Amino acid sequence: MSRIEVRSLSKNFGPRTAVEGLDFDVGAGEVFGLLGPNGAGKTTTVRMLTGLLRPSSGRAIVCGVPLDGDGEALRSRVGLLTEQPGLYDRLTARENLRFFLKLHHRDTKPAWEAARRWMQRFGLGGREEDRCGTFSKGMRQKLALVRALLHDPQALFLDEPTSGLDPESARAVRDAVGELAADGRTVVLCSHNMAEVERLCARVAVVKGRLLAVGTVPELRRQTAVVEIHVEGSAGAAGEALGPIVPPCVWVAEAHVLRITLAGGVSIPEVVALLAQAGVRIHAVFPAQRALEDVYLELTRSSETEAT
Amino acid sequence: MSFRLHRALAVSWKEALDLRKNPGLLASMLALPAVLVLVPTGVIWSWLRNPDTVTFRSMALYYDPTLPLNADPVRFMIDKLVLDWFGVFLLMPVFVPILISSQSVAGEKERRTLEPLLAAPVSAAELVLGKSLASVVPAVAITWLSFAVFVLAVDAVAWPLVHAPVLPNGMWLFGIGVVAPLFAFLGNGLAVLVSARVGEARLAQQLSALVVLPLMGLVGGQLAGWIRAGTGYYAVQGLVVLVLDILLIRASVRLFDRERLVSRWT
Repeated sequence: MSRIEVRSLSKNFGPRTAVEGLDFDVGAGEVFGLLGPNGAGKTTTVRMLTGLLRPSSGRAIVCGVPLDGDGEALRSRVGLLTEQPGLYDRLTARENLRFFLKLHHRDTKPAWEAARRWMQRFGLGGREEDRCGTFSKGMRQKLALVRALLHDPQALFLDEPTSGLDPESARAVRDAVGELAADGRTVVLCSHNMAEVERLCARVAVVKGRLLAVGTVPELRRQTAVVEIHVEGSAGAAGEALGPIVPPCVWVAEAHVLRITLAGGVSIPEVVALLAQAGVRIHAVFPAQRALEDVYLELTRSSETEAT
Repeated sequence: MSFRLHRALAVSWKEALDLRKNPGLLASMLALPAVLVLVPTGVIWSWLRNPDTVTFRSMALYYDPTLPLNADPVRFMIDKLVLDWFGVFLLMPVFVPILISSQSVAGEKERRTLEPLLAAPVSAAELVLGKSLASVVPAVAITWLSFAVFVLAVDAVAWPLVHAPVLPNGMWLFGIGVVAPLFAFLGNGLAVLVSARVGEARLAQQLSALVVLPLMGLVGGQLAGWIRAGTGYYAVQGLVVLVLDILLIRASVRLFDRERLVSRWT
């Protein structure tokens, strides 16, 4: 059974449409990635699903609670890590957490002990009595994550959870996300970190005002082909030679390597011929394993092309 | 969403903690009471140091042409000052909540703490009540404490002439006990309302503080002799403010709508 069911969900702010016609399901114990460029409507979607914004149309059920139902029940069952940690700087870490424990009516010793264990886990042990204003960005992010977990939510919405964290802390957070999911919690992860999404998420939705694609990472990768061409000189300059190709292909240049996502029936010989005609000296051509980043860029750029 | 007192008290607890750790705000809160106690006490002290009876009689006759010849004009002016000063004293319960509430509401927006707070199961009414308690309670406490100090200071300074306590009197006790808390709710309600609409604590403070202008106007009317203050006069003020308080609380709860706050300020 789905923990989150989203059907034709839309949100308008006056005449502006932030998101339109979203449809997806997320199961219990699943880590679901929500990808999209800035302003694509990820935050708006999360805000609707956590009861902060009312949808303009469509419906969704989160942890058994319809969005137009009991807001108190919804907010008790979901945890939210916002893009900004939003801590009270003059209060200590303990006071920040106790405030939210009080709001959830869980200001008990066992709840506080559980919070302390999370703090220990994220390397914040012994900092309980320090003012949050003295914390680094990473420490603030980790404390905000502990705050999101305080009330033992069934579903967690995490907006860039490892942003600003050192590699060790980022790994601790990623491991914790995996464990939370293994424990039966649903996790919706908004991130620009493709490697993190690939590693953590069972399924991914790419949004840009509307749903561009949804599926497992291998499913998304299979949608189009990629070729990696090693050239002499700048791969960026070689990529410019692909201008006349129709439909336009998305390419990424790194030093002497040009990675091209082949769109709409464009073939590898066609691309190679075009580059050769433009005087590009080609050393090698490899069909490549597509990175999620390429899929993401292709989907978001092709939606731009459609829009224009 | 059902109302739960424990959540309002949690909001109030957090606000009180935050206030205690904000020395700048505490200093601003204590500056006004100090001025409102020291100025009239200093005026009475200076009058008694050099009581020029002729000047005082002409001043007293301006305010009360029927003043008997055997009445002490200095005593009359002390009573008059104490009576009118209550109007100025009311600035304290109005202004202190403005300082606190502007920080606690618009400050949430500035510090980007609003979204996590609104994602918790707390209703608009609980937020408004919690934040209001955290500003009205200290404001009333400061007002009452300042009144106690004011009574002691005025009586100590006026004793050589009056040989009896000038304060407390019935009007002041009624005013401090009933009218001042109503004015504290007025200052808080205005600050909450303005803070919910503007993005900065400083701007919220400045706009809310405009409420002192009509109050100063009324005090000016008293000093000019156009308005005769007394228990009845302050009771009418209290009634008007009570109605405003109710309207402001209702408007504040409506403005604390999640949708509005989140879409405008996060």
